[in-house]
Amino acid sequence: MKNCRYADVRLGIHEVKYAHAENGKAKGMDEDTALSFGIRMLAGEMCAWGFYSQSIGGSEARPKSFGEILTLGVQKAYARAIANAHKKAEFKPFAPSLTEVTLARVDPCRDIINSVFDEDPRAVPVKDILALCIKISGSMHSIGKDVRYAFLQVQTGIHREVFCSSEGACIDQAHALTQGTLTVVAQKAGGVPEVCHDYLGDLRGWEVLQGKNIYRQPLAEFAGMRTHETLELTGAEFLPATNEPVVVVTNPHFNALLVHEIIGHPTEADRALKLETAYAGRSWLLRDLQNNELGKQIASPLLNAYSDPSMNGYGHYKYDAEGTPAKRVNLIENGICKEFMNGREQAAILQHPPNGSMRATDPHSVPLVRMTNTVFAKGDKSPAEIIAEVKDGYFIVNHRIPSISESRENFRISAQKVYKVESGKITKLYRQGGITADSKDFLMNIDAVGNDFSVFPIPNCGKGQPMQIMRVGNGGPTLRSRAKLTGLRT
Amino acid sequence: MMIDTGTLRTSVRNGIEFIKKQKDVIDAEVFASWNEHITVRVNYTSDIPCNGIHEPKSTQGCGIALRVVFESGKGIKVGLGNSANDITQRGIIDAFSKAKRNKIYDPDFLSLPVPIGEPVLKNYHDPEAMEIDDETIVRLGWQGLKGALEEYHQNRFSTSIIAGGDITIIRERMAIASTKGIDNFDESTILTANITSMVERENVKGSGWNTSTHISRFRPEDAGRESAESAIKTIGGERISSGTYDVVFGRQPVADLCANILIPALSLSAVNASDTPFLGKLGQKVASEALTVYDDGAIKGAIGSKKISCEGIPTGKTSLIHQGFLTGFLANHYLAKKFDSRIASFIPRNGFRFEKGKRSYTQQPGIFPTNIVIEGKEEISSRSLLSEINHGIYIGRIWYTYPINGLAAGDFTSTIIADSYVVKGGGIAHPLRPNTVRINSNIMDIIKNIIAISNDKRQTILWGNEEVVLAPEIAVQGVQLDSISGFIA
Repeated sequence: MKNCRYADVRLGIHEVKYAHAENGKAKGMDEDTALSFGIRMLAGEMCAWGFYSQSIGGSEARPKSFGEILTLGVQKAYARAIANAHKKAEFKPFAPSLTEVTLARVDPCRDIINSVFDEDPRAVPVKDILALCIKISGSMHSIGKDVRYAFLQVQTGIHREVFCSSEGACIDQAHALTQGTLTVVAQKAGGVPEVCHDYLGDLRGWEVLQGKNIYRQPLAEFAGMRTHETLELTGAEFLPATNEPVVVVTNPHFNALLVHEIIGHPTEADRALKLETAYAGRSWLLRDLQNNELGKQIASPLLNAYSDPSMNGYGHYKYDAEGTPAKRVNLIENGICKEFMNGREQAAILQHPPNGSMRATDPHSVPLVRMTNTVFAKGDKSPAEIIAEVKDGYFIVNHRIPSISESRENFRISAQKVYKVESGKITKLYRQGGITADSKDFLMNIDAVGNDFSVFPIPNCGKGQPMQIMRVGNGGPTLRSRAKLTGLRT
Repeated sequence: MMIDTGTLRTSVRNGIEFIKKQKDVIDAEVFASWNEHITVRVNYTSDIPCNGIHEPKSTQGCGIALRVVFESGKGIKVGLGNSANDITQRGIIDAFSKAKRNKIYDPDFLSLPVPIGEPVLKNYHDPEAMEIDDETIVRLGWQGLKGALEEYHQNRFSTSIIAGGDITIIRERMAIASTKGIDNFDESTILTANITSMVERENVKGSGWNTSTHISRFRPEDAGRESAESAIKTIGGERISSGTYDVVFGRQPVADLCANILIPALSLSAVNASDTPFLGKLGQKVASEALTVYDDGAIKGAIGSKKISCEGIPTGKTSLIHQGFLTGFLANHYLAKKFDSRIASFIPRNGFRFEKGKRSYTQQPGIFPTNIVIEGKEEISSRSLLSEINHGIYIGRIWYTYPINGLAAGDFTSTIIADSYVVKGGGIAHPLRPNTVRINSNIMDIIKNIIAISNDKRQTILWGNEEVVLAPEIAVQGVQLDSISGFIA
């Protein structure tokens, strides 16, 4: 094809079984295989992108039919790239920063990566999955009369994607994914409902739900624990909000969402380069290519943060969706902002080495810069010691819901539970509270980093247009800092 | 690759004939769809090398979905099955075998939908948009950017500019038939332009949008121009101190509060999960008498309109709040039947299979809004709305609005990111600096404290949401606003 500079094709097959139940009643089950492809192409004299994707039916998966569909898809992506490049050239005098797309160089790789599991998801009968959902949601519902709603969904499957590029890359990667999702709503008569929504999951087989997970608990125990906690909260007092920052100790589950929102997102290079301005927002870490926080102190010297796809967790993979070998990216070292997660195009603009952080939810979708396993690094203090040193403060336990400023410079995140800490002892439990702070203030005020460390599954990170929902791993140790409490205003 | 409605109708009718002959089948519904979601993403940064239009892209899907009710010793069982990209007899057989394999006993499943009334809308799609070619798609994207850049250049801004967003075109076709007598089809086209632009060194951001069901009336350049105009107008913004303010919520914040807090709480899905502040309040006064809210999927020319739901039910008006009283909840057939009682019944007009804005065979009918309409008891002009609050804040765009303590608690928070002003003496005094204020409030307080609603409504769309809000501006008393992000200054 004339002036075609680059093309890649991702072909994916997802074999998934799932079921869900509520209050001990079956609500649905299915086992299915979905096949789809996506084509990215760079073409034209003023090189520009074009993309095409579609799902493929069973009968079309035969080589001849599939070849024909793929050829049509290539023609569509090429036509779009050519039309786009033509318009880019036309607009160039009017908009001087328009530039030909350049991709940072990576060596084309050829590799096969198999999925890892002890118990093959494909061998688990879907009826057993439904039976588990009915049993556990029924048990949750019967824990107390104040449990108004108990929902459980379980999925297990294998996801395989083949990536081939015009540069010669050919990578066949597969991973298993098993996940339990629960919602429990509890309410005392006449009271305000308390809602808990949480996940258990990993990129492994059925063994995840039998106890091989971050909680080291079978799904039934995990669901029971969350239900008991939710019930307990219905009897707790509402947390009073404060107008001034107080000492807060945040646990690893809470810090999973905190690192996601105030470290992970602002260190995505596409966001830093303003590509998400209309949607998920910008990053306060990069004003422009000359004026930015790279190399500057943005957090306490005690704090380190990194993104590492080689670790186990929802953000694990060996090659990203551009075929770039995945690597650990040091985001913050001793409080200094060091690197952004990037793809080949952003790496070329920033003149950074590509670090393999591009992913798409499925072959239907264009790859974006995504968090991998993005975490606060562990420190040297025991969590018990961190709490024991607090004379007057609060222990913020497990994340609920975030709301973050446009450039990630301020946050409010609610917690499942908040405890008062007095003279080093955890005392009273509060409900419906959380913390709010300017991101830099919170990061700079960190004065203790725990030697505990956990990575939690975050299955629902939204980004892009149309929005893609991506699985990532987030976590870290216990932290201590200062923030205002959110909750009941008097 | 495109499939016409005639082919979809033939497929669903053949499907019903096939399923009727199968053993143990009591009832069945066959749904088939073809659709394409086309997005042209705008990304211009004057100070960073960029593409202008980042990538023209599309995702296309076609398939068939079955809901089959089987006779079972224990009562009835319902099974769901689908087949991707094959709406022939082979696809139907494949989907039926899955439905049979997947059948379950769900005591809350009572029946499949029955026909209700006649659709209002007919032939409301744009044949030109259905046949749109790649060059036109790309051209529409560049038109959006051109609008923004022309406005900036006319005002002598050429550096520190960002213009981002998208032009989205959705083309969809569906047909449905059932043993209950439903036999219908729908065809729609939706065009939206959503542009955000900034003069970054001035810390200003502006929004612009344009929507249409037809290419001939679609003006992406207007969205670009509006976004730049709005950004320029807010140069020189100032901070405010934390406190309780009377505010006017502009159209985007009204749509945002509706889409993320109010409307999810007014759905039978939330009632089913006991997760709504409106639980047990049907018929009671829940809001200011100034407020009326309804869903109407049959408004001619509105981009959320459909002829029929994905359960084959004609769209129409569903009253949710009328002059402050809770009058209803959005429903699909499944939950309408479950919650049907002597004191309340719900018309299932909102059973849709939306997935990323498309009607997808892979989804079961959930509950989705169409066009949400906000009305005032006595609507007034935008200018009069400012007089109503006299001193306060005009909030033009908010971001990351979430029910921070769960939907039932009603607490929400979000930040003010653009298009906003300080109001003094009933008029605009000066711009509000973006990203310096966080709203911390409760939706029940907001709807109770509404004092006036404007008469100028506009179709407003949001990132990641399916519905359209015909949004006015709304004046509300006593909203908690907190000053944030001091370190950025």
